[in-house]
Amino acid sequence: MIEVKKVSKKYGRKKILDGVSFTANKGEVTCLIGINGVGKTTTLKAIMGLTPYKGEILINGQTMTKDSYEKITFIPDAPTMLPQMTVKQAMVFMKDFYHSWNQERALQLLEFFKLKEESRISELSKGNTAKLNLMLGLSLDVDYVLMDEPFSGIDIFSREQIANVFASHLIEDRGVIITTHEIGDIEHLIDKVILLDNGTVLKEFNTEEMREEEGKSVVDVMREVYQA
Amino acid sequence: MMRYLKLVNFEINRFSKIYLTLLLITLLSQFAGVLIVTKSLLNDAKEIMLEEKLSEVAYLSEYGGIDFTHIANTLWFLGPIALSAVALIFYIFLIWYRDWFGKNTFIYRLLMLPTSRLSIYLSKATAIFLMVLGLIAWQMILLPLENALFHSSVPEAFLNMEMSTSSIAAANGILMLIIPSTFTQFLLSYGIGLMVMSILFTAIMFERSFRMKGILLGLLYGGVAAALFLTPVFIMASEIFHFYSNELFGLLLTLGIIVTGLSIWLGSWLLKNRVTV
Repeated sequence: MIEVKKVSKKYGRKKILDGVSFTANKGEVTCLIGINGVGKTTTLKAIMGLTPYKGEILINGQTMTKDSYEKITFIPDAPTMLPQMTVKQAMVFMKDFYHSWNQERALQLLEFFKLKEESRISELSKGNTAKLNLMLGLSLDVDYVLMDEPFSGIDIFSREQIANVFASHLIEDRGVIITTHEIGDIEHLIDKVILLDNGTVLKEFNTEEMREEEGKSVVDVMREVYQA
Repeated sequence: MMRYLKLVNFEINRFSKIYLTLLLITLLSQFAGVLIVTKSLLNDAKEIMLEEKLSEVAYLSEYGGIDFTHIANTLWFLGPIALSAVALIFYIFLIWYRDWFGKNTFIYRLLMLPTSRLSIYLSKATAIFLMVLGLIAWQMILLPLENALFHSSVPEAFLNMEMSTSSIAAANGILMLIIPSTFTQFLLSYGIGLMVMSILFTAIMFERSFRMKGILLGLLYGGVAAALFLTPVFIMASEIFHFYSNELFGLLLTLGIIVTGLSIWLGSWLLKNRVTV
């Protein structure tokens, strides 16, 4: 389980996160939702130890160490490999540094996304860059996958392809925390929603319970909260 | 340890094209310098002999012969050394900032590797240090070859003296600095270089951690570190106390180790705990 406990973060004088607390379980898709600038990406960066923060974050009951990067991975919305590298070189790099690299799954994902090993990263389209990021992240045998806006700025076909990954065996029983504006693409796959506003958790709910008990979709709840 | 070595290898590979270009420029410029400067010196000598109607013996007794120091002090020879030094100083900054800026944010991947942040910090420092040593080794290989070419291009009568590689290095201020003749000189030249690099790395980490405020903190840290290292020199200059040269060397060495160790610790601490991607 990922436990985020009273996490606060300031950039200069601006408060980005103000006592954010939530949990994300293995085997569940947790979605962080909010308008731009509410602290979704900062929350993911804090979990990954990519920005300092106040509060406590535990991964399977332990604070983040270098070994945690074999158990949790972050897929940002920017390329994380050198532009001059080819897709194959990026895969070799990952294989070299991570014990949790699963070459078999990497090749499956390569095929799934129709990426070519010899393609240079600098020459990939935005959609293919997102797919490459996803391929590199999901090829690690990790417990948790954190995704920042995986559908941002990419065409409808690539979005469908990426959304299909969530429903496939490629995600298996991992815990996923995702931030997205394109909620419609994956709404049916989300287990839990954390609504953020002004750096705080505004509402937290289980999507199935919400549907069954109140008959509301995630988008309905978002409208209620953000348009109120 | 393996990941650290892989990172060092990775960092060296990333700079390899520019590095090989620097090695090639050094080779071409210095060899061209030997041929061009030697030819020019011999032409000058012939012109003077013709104008002043001097025999070879009279010319040599009046103006003297030539030796390799005539080559070693030219831009052909020192230019590529200066270029390499500037490139590596520039690279101290580039090795960090290129991972943060531009279209590809490789720093995400680098900081998410399952290895300690200290390994990442040290791998970049080691890569630069190895590249410096590589350039020096290249110069030490080239020097006797250039010397041999020089000897074969100059008539024996015009040669001032046969200079060995070490005497060429000792006769030139810059070569003396980069090719030390004693272990003490090696410690001074390369120890100070290592210390300066660790201070600059720490200043960069301050900037990456605190942005605008970090620039001031980095400058302040650089000033404090330099002042700490030079304390014995200041004490001597102000005539409060006099140190014998071996005492001064021992103090500088000790303070250098302390400043380098402190910079590495602080830099890697900032990278682990304060840096924001």
